[in-house]
Amino acid sequence: MLFWILIAVLTGVAALSILVPLSRSDRARTAGTVSADEAVYREQLSAIESEFERGLIDAEAAEAARTETGRRLLAAHDRRAGQADGASRGGRIRTAQVLALLGLPVAAVGLYLVLGAPGQPDLPLAQRLNAPAEQQSLEVLVARVERHLEQNPQDGQGWSVIAPVYLSLGRAQASAKAYANALRLLGPRQDWLTDMGEALTIANQGLVTADARSAFEKAAALDASAVKPRFFLAIALGQEGKTAEAIAAWETLLENADETAAWVGAARQQLAGLRGNQPAGAPQRGPTQEEVAASQDMAAEDRQAMIKDMVAGLAGRLGAEGGSAAEWTQLIRAYMVLGEREKAETALAEAEVAYEGKPEDLSLIKDAASQLGL
Amino acid sequence: MIVELGHFTLVLAFVLTLVQSTVPLWGALSRDDRLMAVAPPVSVMTFLLVLVAFLVLTVAYISSDFSVLNVIENSHSAKPLIYKISGVWGNHEGSMLLWVLILVFFAALVGLFGGNLPTDLRAVTLAVQGWVSAGFILFLLATSNPFTRVTNPPLEGADLNPILQDIGLAIHPPLLYIGYVGFSITFSFAIAALILGRLDAAWARWVRPWTLLAWCFLTLGIAMGSYWAYYELGWGGWWFWDPVENASFMPWLAGTALLHSAIVMEKREALKVWTVLLAIFTFSLSLLGTFLVRSGVLTSVHAFATDPARGVFILGLLCFFIGGSLSLFAWRASMLKQGGLFAPISREGGLVLNNLFLTAACAAVFVGTLYPLVLDAVAGEKISVGAPFFNLTFGPLMVPLLIAVPFGPVLSWKRGDLLAATQRLYAALALALAMVLFTFWLWGMEKILAPLGVGLAVWVMAGAVAEIVTRVKFLSVGPKRGFDRLVGLPRSAWGTAVAHFGLGVTVLGIVTASAFQEERIETMRPGDTVNLSGYEVTFDGAAPRRGPNYTEEVGHFTIRTGGVVISELDPSKRVYTARQMPTTEAGIYTTGFSQLYLSMGESRGDGAVDVRIYFKPLITLIWIGCVVMAFGGALSMADRRLRIGAPKPAARRKAAVAAAAE
Repeated sequence: MLFWILIAVLTGVAALSILVPLSRSDRARTAGTVSADEAVYREQLSAIESEFERGLIDAEAAEAARTETGRRLLAAHDRRAGQADGASRGGRIRTAQVLALLGLPVAAVGLYLVLGAPGQPDLPLAQRLNAPAEQQSLEVLVARVERHLEQNPQDGQGWSVIAPVYLSLGRAQASAKAYANALRLLGPRQDWLTDMGEALTIANQGLVTADARSAFEKAAALDASAVKPRFFLAIALGQEGKTAEAIAAWETLLENADETAAWVGAARQQLAGLRGNQPAGAPQRGPTQEEVAASQDMAAEDRQAMIKDMVAGLAGRLGAEGGSAAEWTQLIRAYMVLGEREKAETALAEAEVAYEGKPEDLSLIKDAASQLGL
Repeated sequence: MIVELGHFTLVLAFVLTLVQSTVPLWGALSRDDRLMAVAPPVSVMTFLLVLVAFLVLTVAYISSDFSVLNVIENSHSAKPLIYKISGVWGNHEGSMLLWVLILVFFAALVGLFGGNLPTDLRAVTLAVQGWVSAGFILFLLATSNPFTRVTNPPLEGADLNPILQDIGLAIHPPLLYIGYVGFSITFSFAIAALILGRLDAAWARWVRPWTLLAWCFLTLGIAMGSYWAYYELGWGGWWFWDPVENASFMPWLAGTALLHSAIVMEKREALKVWTVLLAIFTFSLSLLGTFLVRSGVLTSVHAFATDPARGVFILGLLCFFIGGSLSLFAWRASMLKQGGLFAPISREGGLVLNNLFLTAACAAVFVGTLYPLVLDAVAGEKISVGAPFFNLTFGPLMVPLLIAVPFGPVLSWKRGDLLAATQRLYAALALALAMVLFTFWLWGMEKILAPLGVGLAVWVMAGAVAEIVTRVKFLSVGPKRGFDRLVGLPRSAWGTAVAHFGLGVTVLGIVTASAFQEERIETMRPGDTVNLSGYEVTFDGAAPRRGPNYTEEVGHFTIRTGGVVISELDPSKRVYTARQMPTTEAGIYTTGFSQLYLSMGESRGDGAVDVRIYFKPLITLIWIGCVVMAFGGALSMADRRLRIGAPKPAARRKAAVAAAAE
């Protein structure tokens, strides 16, 4: 409402700038208008005199200039005499008044309604950041904490608060850094170490890197009973190709497991995968626990799409950088599972080229392929 | 709400400029005083409304209101306050808003201080200014609205182009725009005069302060831009003949010509057609510059936006205003009466010569700027017209002009005596020749042109002094009377002399800094010392540093002469984090009028960095000269005689005349 009042006031003031001069009487202004150019020529005449007295121009030149300017002065005088008195006619004035009273507001407000966003509030950053927490989006809250941490980088508690939020927003690298800061400032804690390792793992597309691994190891050392770090360490063993050790690790984990725990299914799957058909000694990159867990919640098509993405990623990597025999086997198997026999054959052919000089590995791949019916 | 109010005031201003462009014109054509009287208050109101819109946008920038698209695209909450403010005009939309603000500002100035003008001339001038304003506000609203909102505001903006994050941006565009856009008012005066058929000596006098005002600011703006490029771009150059620089230089050349031809028109009522044409051309060149910069035809730091729709719109405005004004000119110019006659050797002749060379120089710059663009558009061929072209065309045109400068003011009107004029300049000539010989003695014969250039500069400076001295006649009337006469000289005479002196100062700076510059490019390790022009420059090492929105590698250099530390410089290379864009900050040590210029290049892995070191003798004179020129313009503008209009009481005027004549 205040907005529209202000708009009305502005429009009114603008209209007044037209209406007020229209309403003034004529006589006030007509005096002295045309004498403007006469004044200029009079001034020029006096300038000629002063230059002459100064000796800048001689008498002859001064006289010539005087004549010339005098002629202009006379012309200007005649023009004034011959000019109409500038009277106003009612019709014209009324048209202009209508223009100011009606045309101006209609045109201005109409155009504004087309172009503007009436009612949209201002959103200064400070106001958004200082609004009560319950009214704020997660994004704003994060920005607030970030600003706070920029000012107080030594606030370990702050870092520990924002770290899981980062992870849930998908900013795994930032999350890992935040955990690292919290740990540096407030000392080691099992859950933070574990979560940092998890964040690092996610940031590396499910690969448990050396950093992540050392975090999980520290966490496990702090609390031997904690499941999560050991879960990831078991994945790490599997990824490093230490199949036997990995199987042992999974078995230990599952032995004391509460059957209803969410992770048990994923662990069993990993275990089955390791026991089933992995040739020993080849590093593996599998999906992370989260990805697997996520895939279970997905609709069938989504899951298919996710698997296809992963397969495409693997194929791309193997094509570009090469990989172990186990990975090639995995790719071929994946294609067969997805029902893409042609692609599986192409992958086999590519593997044959890649392992041309290594008959042992090649025979492994070929065996696997023949088992799959290729 | 505030943002939306700003948007509304801009829309309201647009509608009001439509009133401003029609009602007073109607009044003038039908000789209706009341309708004409609408012009001044409406122009002031339009200015206030655009000012509110501009302030609103500034508030949005300061408060980092990211619900405004323009703020998102060009600001960042971590930016220092000054750059939040200057960032308002550091982008396409905001700078066009500033453009419009200055356009309506000049209209408001004429509305407020144009009381000495005839009512009809003032009304029509303001109406024409209203057309231009309406065109550009429409351009803003239709293609580049600075008040466009977004519904899901992000929390951080994209930051301002780092090169523009400099105190230079706070000063350069406003100055330049006041100059650039200021010529719109002379354009409006010219069109109004053509419409009303009142092109006479009085018109030239009325236009003069407005031309001077625009010219002063344009001079300062160009100088400021040049100094900014010099210390920010890190190449050590101060003028690059970059098309965007040329875009501001062409109106300056045309505007300078206009200033001089308007004097002839004012004094003798001659050169009327030419003066009006120049007034049209000067603003047309400003418009052309805006088109070149804004359409994306040119890519440079100034090309904020490359949007074909905007280019087409500005091209349309360009065609309308230039084409329209030239058609009007063609139609009305034939009705003009022949003005005063004059001999070739006379003050008028000198000013014609000045105009000839200035417009030829302007044409040379025009060709050099546009030819590559036309060739690219027509033949798809990319060529670059660089400094060599301009040095070969612009340079030779300037030499005769500079030789002629001191003669102009000492020649008399109508019929001059070249011999007598030369006699008045004997002392200046002697001084210039002495400087040539001195420079030869100092630098030897290896550089033939440079001492002559120094001589030319001294000739212009000494000529300006000589003009004042001869006017005052110190030698014949004695010091006491002479001093009185000095004080009594009209300010416009002082303005001429000071501006010409400034021109000489700038030329001196250009000649010495170009001819006698010394340059070294070295890879320096910490502890290394380079000797240049008697300075020992020691590199002490480089260290990283964090700024509010950038990180930088700062080098530390110690400058010594004869082992004594005289200065320490910290040039740096910055990377602005939001845009991941590097910039260079030069380290500059000023000694007298000369400068030692240090710029860091790539760092080598082992702590070594590439360093460019220049010694630029008298380089600051380039910019000091420009400031002096602008001061001369300001003096001339302050001339008492320009402010007459409302007739003064006779007694007071006589007293003033008597005082002046003393």
